Amino acid sequence: MTIPQERLRNFSIIAHIDHGKSTLADRLLELTHTIDPRQMTSQVLDSMDLEREKGITIKARAVRLEHTAEDGLLYGLNLIDTPGHVDFSYEVSRSLQACEGAILVVDAAQGIEAQTLANVHLALRQDLVIIPVVNKIDLPSAQPDVVIEELENVLAIPREEVILASAKEGTGVPEILEAIVHRIPPPQGSPSAPLQGLVFDSHYDQYKGVVTYVRLAAGTLHEHERIRLMGSGAEADILELGVFRPQLVPVKLLTAGEVGYIATGLKSVRDAQVGDTVTNAAAPAPVPLPGYQAAKSLVFAGIYPISGEDYPLLRDAMEKLHLNDASFTFEPESSVALGFGFRCGFLGLLHMEIVQERLEREFGLDLIASAPSVEYRVTPLHGKGVVVVDNPALMPPAGEIETIEEPWVALSVITPSAYIGSLMELSTTRRGTFRTMEYLDPQRVLLSFDMPLAELIVDYFDQLKSRSQGYASMDYEEAGYREARLVKLDVLVNGEPVDALSMIVHRDKAQAVGRALAAKLKELIPRQMFEVPVQAAIGSNVVARETIRAMRKNVLAKCYGGDITRKRKLLEKQKEGKQRMKRVGSVEIPQEAFLAVLTVGEGS
Amino acid sequence: MTAAGAGPGATAARRPPVALYLHVPFCRSLCPYCDFVVYAGADAVGRRSRVEAFVDALGREIDLRADALDAAFGPPGATGRPALASLYLGGGTPSLLRAHDVAALVARVHRRFGLAADAEVTLEANPGPDDRGDLAGFAAAGVTRLSLGAQSLDDAELRALGRRHRAADVGDAVAAAREAGIPLVSLDLLYDLPDQRLATWAATLEGALELHPDHVSCYALTLDDPDAEGLTGPGGDHLPTLPGARRWRDRARPRQDEDRAAAAYALADAALAGAGLPWYELSNWAAPGHESRHNLAYWQRRPYEAAGPGAHAFDGVIRRWNAARLEGWLAALAPADGSPPALPPGGSESLDAGTAAAEELFLGLRTAHGVPREQALARADILAWAHEAGLVEDAPEARVRLTLRGRLLSNELFGRLV
Repeated sequence: MTIPQERLRNFSIIAHIDHGKSTLADRLLELTHTIDPRQMTSQVLDSMDLEREKGITIKARAVRLEHTAEDGLLYGLNLIDTPGHVDFSYEVSRSLQACEGAILVVDAAQGIEAQTLANVHLALRQDLVIIPVVNKIDLPSAQPDVVIEELENVLAIPREEVILASAKEGTGVPEILEAIVHRIPPPQGSPSAPLQGLVFDSHYDQYKGVVTYVRLAAGTLHEHERIRLMGSGAEADILELGVFRPQLVPVKLLTAGEVGYIATGLKSVRDAQVGDTVTNAAAPAPVPLPGYQAAKSLVFAGIYPISGEDYPLLRDAMEKLHLNDASFTFEPESSVALGFGFRCGFLGLLHMEIVQERLEREFGLDLIASAPSVEYRVTPLHGKGVVVVDNPALMPPAGEIETIEEPWVALSVITPSAYIGSLMELSTTRRGTFRTMEYLDPQRVLLSFDMPLAELIVDYFDQLKSRSQGYASMDYEEAGYREARLVKLDVLVNGEPVDALSMIVHRDKAQAVGRALAAKLKELIPRQMFEVPVQAAIGSNVVARETIRAMRKNVLAKCYGGDITRKRKLLEKQKEGKQRMKRVGSVEIPQEAFLAVLTVGEGS
Repeated sequence: MTAAGAGPGATAARRPPVALYLHVPFCRSLCPYCDFVVYAGADAVGRRSRVEAFVDALGREIDLRADALDAAFGPPGATGRPALASLYLGGGTPSLLRAHDVAALVARVHRRFGLAADAEVTLEANPGPDDRGDLAGFAAAGVTRLSLGAQSLDDAELRALGRRHRAADVGDAVAAAREAGIPLVSLDLLYDLPDQRLATWAATLEGALELHPDHVSCYALTLDDPDAEGLTGPGGDHLPTLPGARRWRDRARPRQDEDRAAAAYALADAALAGAGLPWYELSNWAAPGHESRHNLAYWQRRPYEAAGPGAHAFDGVIRRWNAARLEGWLAALAPADGSPPALPPGGSESLDAGTAAAEELFLGLRTAHGVPREQALARADILAWAHEAGLVEDAPEARVRLTLRGRLLSNELFGRLV
C-alpha cells in the first residue's frame, strides 16, 4: 500500500554505545509488527558479526516501520540507523542528512556522553527535530532527574519534551512512536518533480549487484525504469526497487520523501557512489543534490598479505569491501620489509581495526598491518611547496627538511569530576594543551583540549577508559595543522632497517620511545634460531638496542608412545603459527610487533 | 607438500604388524603432568577395581584384532604374517597386573600373533615397592625388558612431581629386576622440572648410570593441554585433564626454562654417551644392540597393532586409535547383555602419499641413523637450509642426520617438513 507523503517520517536514533539504541530499535520493530516476534533476534539492525561482537554499529542501515497512530491513520516510518563510535561521525552525518528528525537516547544512569553531544550538534546543524529520550529508567542506578537537568543545561532541551523510557521493558516506547508521528515533520519534495534521489549508502550483493540506498528528495521512482547517476554518468535499468523491512522487500514505486533501495546490476560501487544523485535517464533533473563531502581519512596504515602470493586476492578483497565501506581509501604501495600491499586511509583507529578484521574474516586472508600514522605536511629545504607524507618510511632525511607540520584535533572529554586530574595528566603528557572545563552537573565535567592527532591515535582512547574506569567518553574534530619538532625513528631488526616499523615522534620523546619500542619488540618477536639485535635509530644515531636471545630448544621430547598423529598435528600447528608471521630478512615477525608502537606510548 | 621422491610410504600397502602395544590404563595415583589414559585409585586397586574386567576385555580385543589380521594376511606363521618382534605392555602401571594375568596375555599374543623366539617383551613398571609387582613372575611370563618410571633420583623432585616412590626405590627395583632374571632394564628420566637445578639433574644422571641400565629415556617435562588440542571429546583418545592437574601444570609452566632445558639435554647426551649409551633417538639412549625395538618400529614407520583404551596402531597406511574412555571400551568388548564382543570405539586417519613421505622424514630424522640423503633431497630447499643452519650433517652410507643443535631445534626443521 502506498502511504501519502504527509504520513511519512524519516528519523535516526542518536545514542552512545550501550545506551540502548539497538534495544529501542528492536522494540520499535516489534511494536510495529515489522518483525515476527518469533523471528526476532536481538539487535536486528546490527547484522554484521563484528557489530554484534563489539556491540557497536559500524554501517548505517535502514528499516521501514508501518505504524497505525492514535489518530487511526497508517504512517510509514523510516528508521535510518547511525553508527555510535567516534570514528564514524562521517557516517552519522550522512544518515542524518536523510532524516527530518532524530531520537536522542541518553542512559538514565550514565548521562550525556561526548559523542552523543557531537552527534546532536550534527543533527541540530541540519535542522533536525530532536526527540529526547531518557532510557533505562528501570535501572536501580537511574537518575532521570539529573539527566533531564543535563539535557536542559547542555543542549537547552525543555524538560517537558523528554520521554522517560525503558526500551528493555517496553516502557515509553508507544509514546516515542507517537512523538515520531507528531513532532517530526513529513518530508518535502514534489512526487511529480524530476527525480532526485540521494545515495546515502550502498552495498554489494552477490546476486543483485550494487544495491544503493536512496532517499528520494523529489519525483517518483518506478520499477523497471532506467536511471542515471548524475555524478558518475552511469546508467542502468532498475532490476528491483524496494524498502527495508529490514530485509529487502520489493515495491512497485517509491515517491519523494521515501527511503528505499535500488538494485541495478551495476558491478562497481564506483558507478553509484555514496552522495551521488539518482535521476530518471529519460527525464533527468536539471541539477544534482548537494551530496556529501568525501570522508576524510585521518589514520593511515599499510595493509599487507602475510604471504606475497595473496596480493591479488587482497586487491580483490579491498575492492569488494570498498563497495560496502567507501569511507576507507587504498592505493598500492610496497615496503622493503613487507613486500606489496596497500596504503590505506581510515576514519580512525577502530575503523582501521574493523577494516582489517573484515578483510581477514570475509575474505579469508592473513594480513599484517603496519603501525598507523597521520598525514604530515613536510616543507623540504630546497623543494618547491609542501609534500604530504602519510607513511613514516617515506619521510625525507632530517637534513632535507625545512619544517614538518602535523594535524591537531580539538578534543572533548566528558568525565566524572573524580578523574579530572588523571585525564589532565594523560592529555598533557600527550602534548595536549588544556582549553576549557565546563560542569555539566555537579558530578560531571566537559574538558576541552587541543592535541596532536598522532598522540591521540596511540592508545589514547584505551588510556582514557582505563584511567576513568570506563566512565569518560571522548569526541574530537580536526583543528588544523601545526609545526612541530618531529623526527623519524627507524627500527633495525638483525641489522636490517624494517621500514614498516618506522615512526614519527616528537624529538623530545624520541629517545624514550626508541627504548620502549626496542624493549617491546624484544618481548613480541619470538626467539629465532640465532641471536637477533633490535635497534632504534634516529638517522645513523642508535638510541636503543636490545637483543633477542637465540632459541635454544624446540623439540617434541615427550613420550607420546605410538601416537604419531598427535606429534604430526603439533608440528602442523607450529607451522601454521609461523605462517601467520611475516618473514623480514631471516627473522619471523608476528603482527603484534608491527603494532608495538601503539602500546609504547605510556611512560615515555 | 611434495610427494616427489617419497619412500615406501608413497607406494604403501597395508602390512601385518611387527609389534603390538597393550595399554594398561591403571595407576595407584595420578601424576599431575601425565596425559596418558589412566584410571587411578579404586578403579586400579582393591575389591572394586576394574582391573579384572579390563584384563578379560583386553584378551577379547587381542582376539578381535588378530581375527582381522588372520583374514587379511593369513594366520600367524603364514608367509605373509611374520611373528611379532616386540610386545609392549605400557600404561599406566602394567606392573600392577598379576603375574599370571601377564603370562596369560603373553601366551594369548603368542598364540594369536606369534612372538619371535628373540622377541622383545617390555613391561612398564613403577619403582615403588608396592608398585613394581611380581618381577620374578613377570620374567617367568616371558617379560624380557623392564622399563622403570624412575623420573628423578632426587626425593624432593619426586615429591614435587607427585610420584609415589623415593629415589632409593629405583636402585632396589633395578636390583630386583636383575635378580628376577629380567635381561634388560631401561630407566625413564624427566628434565626441565619446575625450578630444577642443573646440579640436581647431573646427580640424577650420575645416579642412574651407577645402576648400569641398558637403556635410558630422557623426556622433557612437557605440560601439554590435550583439551585444547581437541583430544578429549567423547570419542577422543585422551581423558579430560582434571582441574587439579590443570592447576599444577599452570603453576609449573612458568617455572620451566628453555635455556636450562637445552643445557640439561646436552648434559644428558654427553653423560650417557660417555657411559657407553649413545643416543639413538631424540629422547633415547642405549648400549649398542639394546635399542628398544618397539620404539624403533614407531620411528621407522613399521606397522604396529594396539589394544587397550587410547592405544594407537598403524598398518602402513592407516593410523588408528581406540577412544580413551574405559566405559565405552568395556561396553564394546564385554557387552552387559551378553552379546558377542565388538571392536571398541575409536578413530583413524588415512595418510596420503605426501603426508606419509613427510612422516618418514621427520620420524626417521629423530633417530641417530637418520634418513637416506636421496630421500631428504625430495625437499632439497629445506635440506639445504637445515645444513646451513647447522641442524643436519652428513652421515655414513649417504645418509643425513641431526646434529646436537638439530636435535634441540628439530621442530624448526620438522615444522617445515609437515
